[in-house]
Amino acid sequence: MSATALAAPATPAPARRLDPLALLALPGLAFLGVVFLLPLLLLLWSSIRGAEGFSLQGYVRVLGDPYYVGVIGASLQLGLVTTLGALLLGYPAAFALARAKGGWQVLLFALVFLPLTVSIIVKSFGWGIVLRRDGILNWAMLNLGLIERPVRMIFTEGALYAGMINVFLPFMVLPIYSVVRMMDPRLPDAAATLGASPWFRFTRVTLPLSLPGVVAGVSLVFSLAVAAYVTPSLLMGDRYMTMSMVMAKAFLNLRDWQLGAAMAAVLLAVAAFVVVGASVLQRRLGGR
Amino acid sequence: MERLGLGIAWTALVLVILFLLLPIVVVIPVSFTEATVFRFPPEGFSLQWYAKIRNVDGLLGALWLSARIAALATALSLLLGTLCAIALVRGAVPGAAAITTFMVSPLMLPGLVLGIALLQAAREVGLRDAWWSLLLAHVVITMPFVMRTVLGSLSLFDFAMVDAARTLGCSYPVALWRVLVPNILPGFVSGALFAFIASFDNYPVSMFLVDVRTKTLPIQLLNYLEISPDPTLAAVSTGLIGLTVLVLILCDRLVGLRRMASI
Amino acid sequence: MTGMAALQQAGHLTVAGASKRFGAALVLDDLSLAVAKGEFVSLLGPSGCGKTTLLRCIAGLLRPDAGHISVAGRDITTLPAHRRNVGVVFQNYALFPHLTVAENIAFGLRAQGVSKSESAPRVAEALALVRMTEHAGKPVTALSGGQQQRVAVARALVVRPSLLLLDEPFSALDRKLRETMQVELKHLLREVGITAIFVTHDQEEALVVSDRIAVMNAGRIEQLADPATLYGRPASLYVLDFVGQSTRLAGQVTEAAGGMLAVQTALGPVRAPGQFAPGSRVVVAVRPEAVVLGEAAENRIAARVREVSFLGSRTQLHLDLPEEGEDRGVVELPRLPEGIGPGSAVTLAFREADTMVFPAP
Repeated sequence: MSATALAAPATPAPARRLDPLALLALPGLAFLGVVFLLPLLLLLWSSIRGAEGFSLQGYVRVLGDPYYVGVIGASLQLGLVTTLGALLLGYPAAFALARAKGGWQVLLFALVFLPLTVSIIVKSFGWGIVLRRDGILNWAMLNLGLIERPVRMIFTEGALYAGMINVFLPFMVLPIYSVVRMMDPRLPDAAATLGASPWFRFTRVTLPLSLPGVVAGVSLVFSLAVAAYVTPSLLMGDRYMTMSMVMAKAFLNLRDWQLGAAMAAVLLAVAAFVVVGASVLQRRLGGR
Repeated sequence: MERLGLGIAWTALVLVILFLLLPIVVVIPVSFTEATVFRFPPEGFSLQWYAKIRNVDGLLGALWLSARIAALATALSLLLGTLCAIALVRGAVPGAAAITTFMVSPLMLPGLVLGIALLQAAREVGLRDAWWSLLLAHVVITMPFVMRTVLGSLSLFDFAMVDAARTLGCSYPVALWRVLVPNILPGFVSGALFAFIASFDNYPVSMFLVDVRTKTLPIQLLNYLEISPDPTLAAVSTGLIGLTVLVLILCDRLVGLRRMASI
Repeated sequence: MTGMAALQQAGHLTVAGASKRFGAALVLDDLSLAVAKGEFVSLLGPSGCGKTTLLRCIAGLLRPDAGHISVAGRDITTLPAHRRNVGVVFQNYALFPHLTVAENIAFGLRAQGVSKSESAPRVAEALALVRMTEHAGKPVTALSGGQQQRVAVARALVVRPSLLLLDEPFSALDRKLRETMQVELKHLLREVGITAIFVTHDQEEALVVSDRIAVMNAGRIEQLADPATLYGRPASLYVLDFVGQSTRLAGQVTEAAGGMLAVQTALGPVRAPGQFAPGSRVVVAVRPEAVVLGEAAENRIAARVREVSFLGSRTQLHLDLPEEGEDRGVVELPRLPEGIGPGSAVTLAFREADTMVFPAP
């Protein structure tokens, strides 16, 4: 009976007649189809369209030029370092946040959540103030006697990584937090009654259970970081070219559409790989 | 061992929060400085940079444009997204899982790629108006946020409640209004909030679609930062931060902050 | 239409020839039912038998493809749910989480345009009726399962419906509470004097709460009778199996005379009242408590005990049967005699009059 509750009658889908409710999906679908899918296909099409019809020239230039290959490598490296840093910081923090009690949890959650809602421009600008030669970090270290003269930090790779992690860290903490919060706290206890040591309990029970959150956070942060534009251009400028920066330059300055389109296609492929990989991983984790 | 783990977790959380707030908080004292540079510690106290906001070319205009675009785009995605979510949850839609993935996919797409694609498509069809292309683009940007939150709260909603209201004397539309709407309102509010922020804060898509007279706030801010970096920007940023805190408090009062966690 | 008229006279609620089809599946198959005023009737059956569909048709949440439904002589077949004045207690209660207990109960009154000043005393009365007065201001999410059920009942009753429908009202409660609430609810509804239809898949629950039970199978009512008749004289093998336990054995009629049959089963010959031609394949059945150990009745068969289950007030013996398949052997004794255990050989005796014969499926 539970299968056919009064609440949800077992209405087998009619064989041919389309459910009129299904039509409600059409306006949204049509909109995204025209304004989102079509332009993307057009972009991919223009990446293989040269002056005289079909041409892979754009891809040859992107994948054949050591400079552009270097840019792709730099973007991937930036994505990886940012993701790793965010994971190392964010994973334990998400645990503490999930285990916090009552009013504390609301307050701490608000403090993690707030930066997410502050404009990326404001944050990158603030990060600049922190790292400047006459900025807060140099000032603090001078006063603490850690250094004797201001250190150049802005426009260094270290500063870039720190800024990127700063911007994308909430996207790691929040998914892990929501998975850990839903985790049954009795499970590690159950493992303890079976004689498992704390380390064994963490690696064999807690960690595997939190993996769906980790996969969600990692895929989100990586796909955002690998395509980042604002933070690297503000913190590094032309000294650290990412795929997004090459694309922007190709379209806005060089007016080299085929180059930009080919680079966009490569970035799209990376993003698609991450999305598909994450969903496959999630399904595996869910299936266990 | 157990305590060590907890200690590490709490230390990490405190560090994370300090780290996250650092670049936001430093902006505030700098906005009250008397000096013309961002130097730290700020010197003296003055409101001159707040007074200067009015004089910055196009800043207030950009603020107004961004607010309008974000509000309109959010309203449109709420409309389209909610209809779609109702169909997906209640209707027998063929390929519902694929449709859901498609509707939220703009979230995972690199912003610049979307911007370039839209720029090219707009040129292809001869859409030269920056305002309209911005609005259309921002509906695409905001759609995933609305879809995720509205889908989430709809799938948690027990539609037997609508039946219950009907047997108690409400016609179908009245039952939806009196039972469905109050119960999925948190989903609506948080979806709308996220959508609004995503649109208001968007740079990488907008940068390809703006023109000289139609510039959104992030574009205008970054322009200003590149041309004449002075503490006016800190004043503007402080204002934006204050606005954000205000909106968050409002949303917390309205629906509770934690219900919005499911991004 | 004369059939319809006759049904309407017979009942407060009448369903006449109702059919409902979902795609290819015929969920209600020309079903008719009459319920008297103040009567409690259960719709009992496994999932998919159509009992919930019938309930939704009566409530107006579904419209039958054919047939008529009337309440108090008025045809309501095409009336929308909100104008029927039929109260429903939903399976998981469907309480409104955004409203308090009192606001939930007042919902129907407000929806029907009853003024605030008029509805307040009625809500208070309904709260008192279900003993929830002290919880009036609580959010419904803070209530226990039993309390939620009481609120759901009060919400449905406060609008003074002409009929109360209850969809698996006890399924969300644990066993102990379920038994208490069954008696409590029956008593409460009797006091209010309302006509009620219960939907359930739990035969024990149906036996406890109903004046009559309609056993449903594949969109039809297989048998509509009071609990004692249903249990003692099931109209079909389906009803026999769905309500209570039994020892049942397949066999063949060897002799038929004067309304008495002789049937050869795997455990020996059995005599029983019935009308079958010699040679017919049949199933003979007897309820567990009609069987005694020894030779104190006309029918006697020899069997071997496979398992013994102690149930407190009685003990169940499960028998080893020579053939696998549809045959089952369940015997209940007030107490277990010395020396009987798994593997014991026993002789079972039961009266001819207690022996039922059904055509083989």
